[in-house]
Amino acid sequence: AERQAERGREAGSLLSREPNRLERCMSIVTSMTAGVSEREANDALNAHVCKGPPQHEEVCLGLFTLVLTEPAQDAGDSGVCWRNCYRDLALVSRDGMNIVLNKINQILMEKYLKLQDTCRTQLVWLVRELVKSGVLGADGVCMTFMKQIAGGDVTAKNIWLAESVLDILTEQREWVLKSGILIAMAVYTYLRLIVDHHGTAQLQALRQKEVDFCLSLLRERFMECLMIGRDLVRLLQNVARIPEFELLWKDIIHNPQALSPQFTGILQLLQSRTSRKFLACRLTPDMETKLLFMTSRVRFGQQKRYQDWFQRQYLSTPDSQSLRCDLIRYICGVVHPSNEVLSSDILPRWAIIGWLLTTCTSNVAASNAKLALFYDWLFFSPDKDSIMNIEPAILVMHHSMKPHPAITATLLDFMCRIIPNFYPPLEGHVRQGVFSSLNHIVEKRVLAHLAPLFDNPKLDKELRAMLREKFPEFCSSPSPPVEVKLEEPVSVEMDNHMSDKDEGFYDNAEAAFSDDEEDLSSRGKKREFRFHPIKETVVEEPVDITPYLDQLDESLRDKVLQLQKGRCAPLPSSPDTEAQCEVMQEIVDQVLEEDFDSEQLSVLASCLQELFKAHFRGEVLPEEITEESLEESVGKPLYLIFRNLCQMQEDNSSFSLLLDLLSELYQKQPKIGYHLLYYLRASKAAAGKMNLYESFAQATQLGDLHTCLMMDMKACQEDDVRLLCHLTPSIYTEFPDETLRSGELLNMIVAVIDSAQLQELVCHVMMGNLVMFRKDSVLNILIQSLDWETFEQYCAWQLFLAHNIPLETIIPILQHLKYKEHPEALSCLLLQLRREKASPAPRALPSASDSGCPCSLRSSSSKLAQLTLEQILEHLDNLRLNLTNTKQNFFSQTPILQALQHVQASCDEAHKMKFSDLFSLAEEYEDSSSKPPKSRRKAALSSPRSRKNATQPPNAEEESGSSSASEEEDTKPKPTKRKRKGSSAVGSDSD
Amino acid sequence: MNGGTDPPLFIKDIKPGLKNLNVVFIVLEIGRVTKTKDGHEVRSCKVADKTGSITISVWDEIGGLIQPGDIIRLTRGYASMWKGCLTLYTGRGGELQKIG
Repeated sequence: AERQAERGREAGSLLSREPNRLERCMSIVTSMTAGVSEREANDALNAHVCKGPPQHEEVCLGLFTLVLTEPAQDAGDSGVCWRNCYRDLALVSRDGMNIVLNKINQILMEKYLKLQDTCRTQLVWLVRELVKSGVLGADGVCMTFMKQIAGGDVTAKNIWLAESVLDILTEQREWVLKSGILIAMAVYTYLRLIVDHHGTAQLQALRQKEVDFCLSLLRERFMECLMIGRDLVRLLQNVARIPEFELLWKDIIHNPQALSPQFTGILQLLQSRTSRKFLACRLTPDMETKLLFMTSRVRFGQQKRYQDWFQRQYLSTPDSQSLRCDLIRYICGVVHPSNEVLSSDILPRWAIIGWLLTTCTSNVAASNAKLALFYDWLFFSPDKDSIMNIEPAILVMHHSMKPHPAITATLLDFMCRIIPNFYPPLEGHVRQGVFSSLNHIVEKRVLAHLAPLFDNPKLDKELRAMLREKFPEFCSSPSPPVEVKLEEPVSVEMDNHMSDKDEGFYDNAEAAFSDDEEDLSSRGKKREFRFHPIKETVVEEPVDITPYLDQLDESLRDKVLQLQKGRCAPLPSSPDTEAQCEVMQEIVDQVLEEDFDSEQLSVLASCLQELFKAHFRGEVLPEEITEESLEESVGKPLYLIFRNLCQMQEDNSSFSLLLDLLSELYQKQPKIGYHLLYYLRASKAAAGKMNLYESFAQATQLGDLHTCLMMDMKACQEDDVRLLCHLTPSIYTEFPDETLRSGELLNMIVAVIDSAQLQELVCHVMMGNLVMFRKDSVLNILIQSLDWETFEQYCAWQLFLAHNIPLETIIPILQHLKYKEHPEALSCLLLQLRREKASPAPRALPSASDSGCPCSLRSSSSKLAQLTLEQILEHLDNLRLNLTNTKQNFFSQTPILQALQHVQASCDEAHKMKFSDLFSLAEEYEDSSSKPPKSRRKAALSSPRSRKNATQPPNAEEESGSSSASEEEDTKPKPTKRKRKGSSAVGSDSD
Repeated sequence: MNGGTDPPLFIKDIKPGLKNLNVVFIVLEIGRVTKTKDGHEVRSCKVADKTGSITISVWDEIGGLIQPGDIIRLTRGYASMWKGCLTLYTGRGGELQKIG
């Protein structure tokens, strides 16, 4: 008790000492609020907040600290009580409580263990209030809070925390349901905690609450829970005996659709890899720090002390046994050391796992621990799962053989028995998974071959017999294992998955050992693989990055060299690329490490740019666009940076560091901009993250989205038209403000597409996937388009017409149209106008800079109503003056002339004078009213049956001119098209 | 962040006779308790930082509170030789404070 008191005192002094800043903020607030009325206090706070962001932060943090530290304060004493403090906080906060949320997260992650109990209570209260008021970001705080609940710990404080957070989540269930990730995280957390809570009545009651909570979420929001991945099954297995979960299990197995229409069954879940965030969420920050320290700093051989400390703190009680599984899953799935660490004398992961296994005291815990270790083996798929997840198991077996053969034996035994026993209906899948794991292990040279492990004299006969029976392929070496493997030519290694693994092995074994026939025949089959032609690889000219290398840190340099060695990746899916991806991931990880020197970013970018030149030269878009091919195409090493970016929180410092790296790359290789756009569109991992591009744009030297987007689309246009078309819909959808007003962008697109691509875009528009014009900006863009090439203009009009924008919107364009200069726009407009009003009345075309023309009057009755007689006459007069060639036609039509006469009769003298010339036409009519030829001509011209007649102005006099114009239109697109085909031969031919 | 004004001294730099030392270390082992003639409990603890390890002599009840793995800040300590070993002591007005 004395000891406890001492610790409490220490913690207390720590809390009050460390956040000096918080204390200072608190005293600022109290100085403003002490001894004044509530109203005055409020005004004072508000006034202070108004002074600027630093003052705002002071007040927020000050009130926040008051809430945390003054629970017992008498309200009458200082005039402030913590409930009021929260109310004030809510009132004065101008950033949606962001400052407070960040501070809470920081305290939880860094200081929770040091907080005094009252302070913890207050923190829970505060979070509850934040949740109640639906503050944006409160779900993140809840998740951080859940992380503080230690697994395998039933001490009162931990139970209190588990219960308090659960109460918040239960009370605010509606709110919880709004956040998919919170649902999944809460289910993962409490499913895991249920196991710890048994025995006393209090714990039973808590367990019941947890069971009800988890079940209701699982039943109602199974899809969200699915995102957890296969470890959801592992946790559900541990609670399967609880009657409520038994029922759930029945549904999962027999009636998966009842849970969610998209849920096809347990296999779906088992085949999806658990995301790291779930594996990591069951370790408290302190556990995580300690494990990471061990796996990154502690030398192999000196780990004992650290293990002892960890064990004493977290693994010393019987209740803590369940934590081992969390630790093992964390080490397998989350702790993925870089190659540099792997090749150093740092404590390897398998050693920690060995320690966790050997110190296991109960059988149940031991078998759960083994399952946790092998969990990623069972449904392993080389495409989806990582070698790093399965590596610890094989290495712990391998390395324990000498010092602890019993460990190896029990693990091998487990591996054999889990195949039929994990879930009998899926035995085939599990066998396949374990086999793929073993294959992959040999392929990746984790172990050169497995026979020394499987067929080792240290194992007892029965186990060896069982292994031989289950894994004949892997355990038929009688000769002592020799490392001859290196003789294998490296090229074969990339050649075929199956071949090299067995080959090397059999090569060694051949002379000494001949297995049964079946084995021989299978060997024969495998031999065939050997002679398959080696895939053609693009021969890259050597890249010289030595000048950069010298400037890199040693560890980074090694990795870059590794990349350089394996550079000429033949196919995206080849193991070679995978290896490259892994190296790339390590590089990224290293960049994100705290001690990374950001000065190196630029040099690193230069190296990467040089090394991955080929990526920027080849086709980005797969030839045939399917989900798989797209997903495959985003598997390039360079895209790992993008992937990491997608997985991060945007306010993270790592996030901005990666952006800096990209920005450096962008300076050296501008193509990376559209590669990012492509990645964001194509990768499933990036779904809904298109806005990352905006962050990227802001991080570049260009600094703004519009410029960056235009530059990237331009680069894309120059390099790959197919890609440009592929990106177009998402660009327009995601960045409407930048794109919809940009004539430049539209011109970029229409300047290079061919008719097939135009058609594709039109289809997108018609289907509603793409909006390229908006009412407010379309007019402007079309006006800009008047200067473009003929085919470009036609494309623009086609795209415009595909939209359902009322024609009135663009009528003002008429004042920009000149008869001779804008045949494209005029003809398109004309066609459209005819569709607007189906009357076959004759039309006239504008030819001068008049501010409108008769067709506009006809097409839009609303406009007509607003026009005065004078305006109409003005138009007609203009028409008369300008349509020198066609006026005979137009003004020889009976209805027009009749109308003119009518008007003349009814209008006043002033008008008669003003438009005397116009009216004189009508007078002529009277004279020549009986002349038939004109009316014949008129009829022919005014019934525009053929397209040609309609697009071309119906004037006999200008026939020669117009036909040459139409020829021009016909021929013009072709050169553009040809030029384009040359630039994107593959694109056009593949269609 | 930390209350100490000076950056802590590394263990490798501790020399006999130095005074007024600020050191941050982790406790590795707690030695046996010995009692002095006038009834004080004394423990010799092995402590270390990233540069080296040293024995510290901890007197009376505070020695019962520390345990291996604790991270402690020593303020106003001094170093001297005892039985041929360089040993660290808490000086007058100095203290040991657990910080992790």
